[in-house]
Amino acid sequence: MVLACAVTAVAQAHGVDTATKDFLVSNEGLAIGPFLYIGAKHMVTGYDHLLFLLAVIFFLYRLKDVVVYVSFFTLGHSITLLSGVLAHISVNPYLIDAIIGLSVVYKGFDNLGGFKRVLGFQPNTKAAVLIFGLFHGFGLATKLQEFQLPKDGLLGNLIAFNVGVELGQVFALIFVLIAIVIWRRYQSFLRFSTVTNTFIMAAGLMLMGYQLTGYFTA
Amino acid sequence: MTDTAKEVTHGQVSARTLALSCVGAVVLAALALVLFILPAEYGKDPTGVGKALGLTRLASTAPVAREVFDPEKPGNRQDNVEIVVPAGKGLEYKLHVKKGDHFEYSWSSDSTALYFDFHGEPDGDTSGYFESYAEGTANGLAGSLNAPFDGNHGWYWENRSDQPATVKLLTFGTYSVVGKL
Repeated sequence: MVLACAVTAVAQAHGVDTATKDFLVSNEGLAIGPFLYIGAKHMVTGYDHLLFLLAVIFFLYRLKDVVVYVSFFTLGHSITLLSGVLAHISVNPYLIDAIIGLSVVYKGFDNLGGFKRVLGFQPNTKAAVLIFGLFHGFGLATKLQEFQLPKDGLLGNLIAFNVGVELGQVFALIFVLIAIVIWRRYQSFLRFSTVTNTFIMAAGLMLMGYQLTGYFTA
Repeated sequence: MTDTAKEVTHGQVSARTLALSCVGAVVLAALALVLFILPAEYGKDPTGVGKALGLTRLASTAPVAREVFDPEKPGNRQDNVEIVVPAGKGLEYKLHVKKGDHFEYSWSSDSTALYFDFHGEPDGDTSGYFESYAEGTANGLAGSLNAPFDGNHGWYWENRSDQPATVKLLTFGTYSVVGKL
């Protein structure tokens, strides 16, 4: 028996597209390939995650530092993605996505030396990236939890999704890194870094406004 | 030499620049949200600019039913009805569908978003059992159903606002109309 095509009437935070929805609703059992792809696609199109990463690597000049910070982010979001789905941890997707928006504002502000200026000290950046990573992971988890994925093959599918997320992250990061490394060769990078981080904060605030409105109205 | 004092991981701007930057970010975000994002995503348009730009149409367009009505199919019918859901009230509208029969639907509310439950009740049941196929709060929805059992299948709409809402319902497929309950 076939259920109604339009599954979720409640407006989505940023969700998955229709074809992916149809797949996730109907799939039973292990499907490594599709989940891998869905994870990668979700990250590559996940502008909230990518904005945070951009803000994180903005002033990281050494590849070693990029690897370290991105690893903390990866660790954070993997922990909550896996445990969130497997342990059925239920969080409101609007609130989580609003916090993800907050993470973007936070790092944009941080890039301007905002915390040092306002608080007098620099909060541990690696810790911040890890902690916000946890929230990003819950955001990823809520997208999957909507579909009440069948237990059969869930662990394998979830790991495939997580690996896909990392592959998508690396893919997107390569482009961002190339662009930013080229830009850093020009004086305009430092000259426009304030404006850029202002836009990053604005984008984060837009995300927060969008998600919080959804939380209060839906 | 790895001198962490020289390790660059942050910028540092003056207090004035920081303040300007924060104010700028808030203003930019507020403008974008109020003028474009909220109208387009939620139909919330406090300034009217969203409506002028046509963005509010994005939030109120009811989804389109995917199949096309085929009058050649045996038992097929097509119905277009308007149902007024009074302010603060709920009501049901049902079709009688036999097990395995199929219909498509598309409904939209002319004003406020309505709580809805698209569900079915088996024939002859006295326990009050019903199976919910889709539930939520929306301005409209489109979909279809292959009836899992003989019975009355349809919608409960609840208007939680203080204005009456008119639901336009288009259905086509294999069923008979029970109507408002």
